[in-house]
Amino acid sequence: MKKNLKRTLSLGLAAMMALGVTACGGSSTDSAATTAEAAATEAAKEEAKESAAPAAEASGDVKVIKLFHRFPDDPCNSFIESKIAEYEAAHPDIKFEVTSAQNQPYKEKIKVVVGSDECPDIFFSFCGEFSERFIREGLLLDLTPYLEADKEWKDSLMETQMTEYTTADGMVYGIPFRLDAKEFFYNVDMFNELGLEVPETWDQFIEVLDKIQAAGITPIAEGNQDKWPACHYIGALNEQLVADDVRAKDYNAKTGEFTDPGYVEALEKYQQLVSYMNMGVNGMTHDMARLGFTQGQNAILFAELVEITNLKQENPDLNWGMFKFPVIEGAKGNPDLVSGAPEGFAVSSKTKYPDECVEFLKWFLGSEVGAQQAEQVGWFNASKGVDEGLTDPSLISAYEVIANAKKMDIWFDNALYSTVCDEYLTQISDVTNGDISPADAMAKIQKVAKEAQSLVQ
Amino acid sequence: MTDNYTMKHMVLKVVLHVFLLFLVAVILFPVCWLVLNSLKTNQEMFLNSLALPKQWMFVNYATAWGKGLLAYFKNSIIVSAISISCILLLSSMLAYGLTRFNLPGGGFIFFLILGGMALSEQVALVPLYKILQAVKLYNTRAALVLPYVAFRIPFTMFLMRSYFISIPKELEEAAIVDGCNSLQRFVKIILPISKPVLASCAIVNLNHVWNEFLFANVFLENKKLMTIPLGLMTFQGDLKSDYVVMLAGILISSLPMVLLFLCMSKQFVRGLTAGAVKG
Amino acid sequence: MKKKTKLTPYLYVIPGLVMVLGFVYIPIIVNLVYSFFRLSSYSTSMKFVGLDNFRRLFTNDTFPIMMRNNIYYCVISLIVQVGFGTFLAFLLESKLLGNRFKSICRNIYFIPALVSLTAVGLMFNFIYNPQLGLLNTFLKHVGLANLQQTWLGDKNLAIFCIIAMSQWQFTGYITLLMVVAFQNVSTDYIEAAIIDGAGPVRRALNIVLPLAKEQLLVCSIITVIGAFKLFTEVYSTTVGGPGNSSQVLGLFLYQNAFLHDDMGMAAATGVLIFIITVTASIFQLKISHSGEV
Repeated sequence: MKKNLKRTLSLGLAAMMALGVTACGGSSTDSAATTAEAAATEAAKEEAKESAAPAAEASGDVKVIKLFHRFPDDPCNSFIESKIAEYEAAHPDIKFEVTSAQNQPYKEKIKVVVGSDECPDIFFSFCGEFSERFIREGLLLDLTPYLEADKEWKDSLMETQMTEYTTADGMVYGIPFRLDAKEFFYNVDMFNELGLEVPETWDQFIEVLDKIQAAGITPIAEGNQDKWPACHYIGALNEQLVADDVRAKDYNAKTGEFTDPGYVEALEKYQQLVSYMNMGVNGMTHDMARLGFTQGQNAILFAELVEITNLKQENPDLNWGMFKFPVIEGAKGNPDLVSGAPEGFAVSSKTKYPDECVEFLKWFLGSEVGAQQAEQVGWFNASKGVDEGLTDPSLISAYEVIANAKKMDIWFDNALYSTVCDEYLTQISDVTNGDISPADAMAKIQKVAKEAQSLVQ
Repeated sequence: MTDNYTMKHMVLKVVLHVFLLFLVAVILFPVCWLVLNSLKTNQEMFLNSLALPKQWMFVNYATAWGKGLLAYFKNSIIVSAISISCILLLSSMLAYGLTRFNLPGGGFIFFLILGGMALSEQVALVPLYKILQAVKLYNTRAALVLPYVAFRIPFTMFLMRSYFISIPKELEEAAIVDGCNSLQRFVKIILPISKPVLASCAIVNLNHVWNEFLFANVFLENKKLMTIPLGLMTFQGDLKSDYVVMLAGILISSLPMVLLFLCMSKQFVRGLTAGAVKG
Repeated sequence: MKKKTKLTPYLYVIPGLVMVLGFVYIPIIVNLVYSFFRLSSYSTSMKFVGLDNFRRLFTNDTFPIMMRNNIYYCVISLIVQVGFGTFLAFLLESKLLGNRFKSICRNIYFIPALVSLTAVGLMFNFIYNPQLGLLNTFLKHVGLANLQQTWLGDKNLAIFCIIAMSQWQFTGYITLLMVVAFQNVSTDYIEAAIIDGAGPVRRALNIVLPLAKEQLLVCSIITVIGAFKLFTEVYSTTVGGPGNSSQVLGLFLYQNAFLHDDMGMAAATGVLIFIITVTASIFQLKISHSGEV
């Protein structure tokens, strides 16, 4: 730090110094000033290079792999760091350069760098449209040949999860890092006190919510300030209310229309739920609202399995359980789907070291590291058997949700084309506040979906 | 003076004091509330944000500091120091050139540069990003410094110019007799005399550069280069935010500028007074 | 001076000029070009689409909302920051106050301007929070629970919450600038006015204000331009929500460029911001009758 401070100061003074010294000399009129300016900018560049790219010093035989992820919070961040250090120790010819960003900035940043020469070799990428737009530009490495070449590796990965990282043409473009699904979490003590059963159908669910409300408790904790949390309700409702093939057609940007009446119905059902939620859904973030559940103010929370870690942190004594999204009887959709998607890493097609990158992912996203990850972070990757050493009952039940899923249905906000997604989220936000009717909201989404058809081609 | 007048005077005085103190409260009350909550646990803050903490969590400040604030500070200091030096240097040269020589085309140049004041950063955002990528400066400190300097020159030049105009020509004439060239006059006479305006320009620009978010957010990707405003945003997690630590981080990061200003407020106002446009 | 070659003076001007041309003007021209193309941040292909980006911008459902929000911000900021800020500056120059008291108040009012926009945004996220925020908790404690709102979560309030936050932050900034301008007004004028029997209010309006006109002009130009490049305040609080109710031009530009892979649309929005800010600046210079500064 001392050294840095000194350098900073000297940089700051560089301009004036250069100017002062030469000024006494006298004759050279203006070159001094411009030199000073150049010196300062040059110094700035130098400084930037130095901290931005230790790559320069590693010019020898060391292969530098840039990795960009979106898990800057502990315990995950330090877990990744320690694993990478371990890998570097075992592979002296490979050096990693890791950067990370929070989810929202990450989504913006990765698009900026992925097409440039700055593109990281390995980076986090959501499955679905988020990655497919890169595939359309040929920016992702096709992992299929690597998987075909190593059958053992291929077989060690859960098929229900890998299909999510496969395009319609059969190209595999990512390997899952953490598996995730959305479930209802409920306060067991509260349910017992009120004599409630875990609901299985939509009607039972509403009945339960009514009883909780009658007991003077706000049933559901939800915060939708960031706009994505509520769309997971819609994703789950659409699964049940709209037939699979219709959804598949609509979620594809080239053919999306969203004219099925099921979509309106989904928004209506959601609107019904909003009346059971805490005040100010749109004014709070999801994690803030979660505190309402963990602090015993609300009975139910619709949350991701990866949040179990946070639940335990926020209130270790809370007695909670999970139940699946209630079945809407007689609906056209597919009640077997589990809302959720694996989140994983992809490799850039521009990387100089494709083999090394794949080799690393094999290990990093394999069963050995996966088991440690499950234990230390509470997240599972897609390698079979990562649950074997688990002792924590809540994690075991979480793993079962995914292991028993016949088919996953990827996150709603990852499935849609960006402008359609944005419009959908906006409308859901307005529906939450009661500012627009579900039918009008769908009309607006249809308009944007139509425009997107022309944009994507 | 009649009694009536004194009475009115007194009432007016009290009302004025009460009103100004009320505004002080409007500014400080939220700040105190934030300080209070930065010393609690997340749970306590959630349950009652006005209550006093059961246990004063000074550890939040340590945690916030441990999240890389030091590095963000370092980056902000480096970027600000270089930017400010360049802004002051280039602007004062510009102002000198435009006020001391009857340059043909000088009026046009002045107008051109002043026009830069009306142009907003957003408009240049997309092309600048493409340009910086093309010249391989994307994700370096220079990617911040260069646009910062360019966008701050117009306003700074404007402030300095009006000050330079007010410097009597006689001062320079004496130096000409002594055989000083224009650069020597600039360095030995104009700059020393302009210290107040240089100081206030430095503070105005420091405030801007120190707090700039848009360019930093788009032109930087490397966490090691992030400045404070960017670093603060990383406290806001997706599925988990540590609110009390975030508050502590906000407070720590805001402190240096506030302290600097409080220490230098006299010089600052004096500098501005000297530099401001005379009525 | 006459002996010098004519080129030397230009050497003082050129470095700064080059910076401004290179990093301000050229990007703005390039931006104009981009606005006629369809292009994304990661794709290398550019497709000429004529005025289509502008058509899509102006027919976008969010367009009237953004314009309305930016104009609200602009007008309210002019009234509160420039108007009330100037009024406050008058009060702070009052002879009824002690010098120490004056400078303490002035400094405290200025403090929020020194805090970074993101920090203020994050802070106000807490203050406006419906569950634990200062506003709602305060209302509850003073027995006004029925006035509680969801603030940033309410379609009709969100943008005003953001505007209020900016007033909190920047009124003191304008006040300080105006105090400085007033101090520059020569005391001769004021004394002359006192001899003429002018009261403090008339002195302020007829003597001091006209003489500080230039500063007032600069302040209002800064405020208007600031209103149309509004970004960080919204980005760090509502990100345009709920719905699109607090969307503004600056954020729309950013989201199109870096979220929706639509840099052409972003560029078109940039052109619009450019036209608005330049027109507003020229207009203000004109009405102040002081184009020559």
